[in-house]
Amino acid sequence: MRTAVLRAGATVLTLATTLLSAAYVTAHLKNPAAPLQPAVVKASTGSAATGPGGVKLGPSVQPGNGQPVTSTYAS
Amino acid sequence: MPPDAPVEAHHFQALGTNCSVFGVGLSLSRLLLGEFWVHRLGTRLTRFSPDSEVSRFNASPGQWVYVSPELEALLRESLRAFEMSGGLVNVAVLPSMMAIGYTRPLAEARPTATVSGAGPLPALPNVLKVRAGAARLEPGAGIDLGGIAKGWMADRLRETLGPNALANLGGDLSAGGPGPAGSGWPVGLAGVTVLLRDQGAATSSVRRRRWGELHHLIDPRTGVPANTGLEEVSVVAASGVEAEVVAKTALLVGPELAPVYCAAHALAWWMSP
Repeated sequence: MRTAVLRAGATVLTLATTLLSAAYVTAHLKNPAAPLQPAVVKASTGSAATGPGGVKLGPSVQPGNGQPVTSTYAS
Repeated sequence: MPPDAPVEAHHFQALGTNCSVFGVGLSLSRLLLGEFWVHRLGTRLTRFSPDSEVSRFNASPGQWVYVSPELEALLRESLRAFEMSGGLVNVAVLPSMMAIGYTRPLAEARPTATVSGAGPLPALPNVLKVRAGAARLEPGAGIDLGGIAKGWMADRLRETLGPNALANLGGDLSAGGPGPAGSGWPVGLAGVTVLLRDQGAATSSVRRRRWGELHHLIDPRTGVPANTGLEEVSVVAASGVEAEVVAKTALLVGPELAPVYCAAHALAWWMSP
């Protein structure tokens, strides 16, 4: 009698674990289109935008409108 | 939009060129101390004075020589520049400079146009060794820190001046902080204004410092003035010394490879054939 109870319990436990695992997996499907976390503002293509005067500007350098206080020059 | 914060500016001559320092919230006396620092260190780093630290180092080949912390840092930076440029930025350029007649500051006398005895430069790590507080130069080698010194000094000076300052040493400049309007320091680069914040910029050119058919920018592969098809390259990079290295390397690799090199190493760039 006791052996039968243990067998039945093990079977129930196995089935329950299997069903719960299947339910968890189907509820957490991988979405290949999901956004990256943290979000990537802009993918780097290795290219820079062409600014005024043909200057190539990467994303960390912004063009300005006013007069420069100084400039690079060959000395 | 809030008004621009007042900028204190000071212009002076040093290192054989025009220099400027700017600061927000800085006094003129603070900027004057910056000029004093440039003069003092420039006197130690010039190759044109036989009494300078660099000249004494060049005159002591084959032995370990005590070097100041500043010269040690610059020599290490020079080795880094050599690696970063694939050997194209090489401060062991003094023999070539002497061979093309560039023996005195151009402001004093124009050299006679000549090339005699110039040849490919040795790999810098083969002739320059650096350890804590000392350095060694192999016989026959000599260094000219040139633009690397200006870029490195601009970075150090800007750090010393304060969190919102800009140092321009002969076109090698270093900008730190938000600038007068909070969006970065407005700097002229190839005729346009760009906003720099914690960045550096430099221009490398063969249009200045010329005499006859020669100029001061040596191609280490030949040991003579470069002729690569590019005459001028301006660059923004993470620091003043890095901008100097990238601009010079781009000019030396020529018009085909320079855009690729700049795309990999520069934050902004402009080049002229």
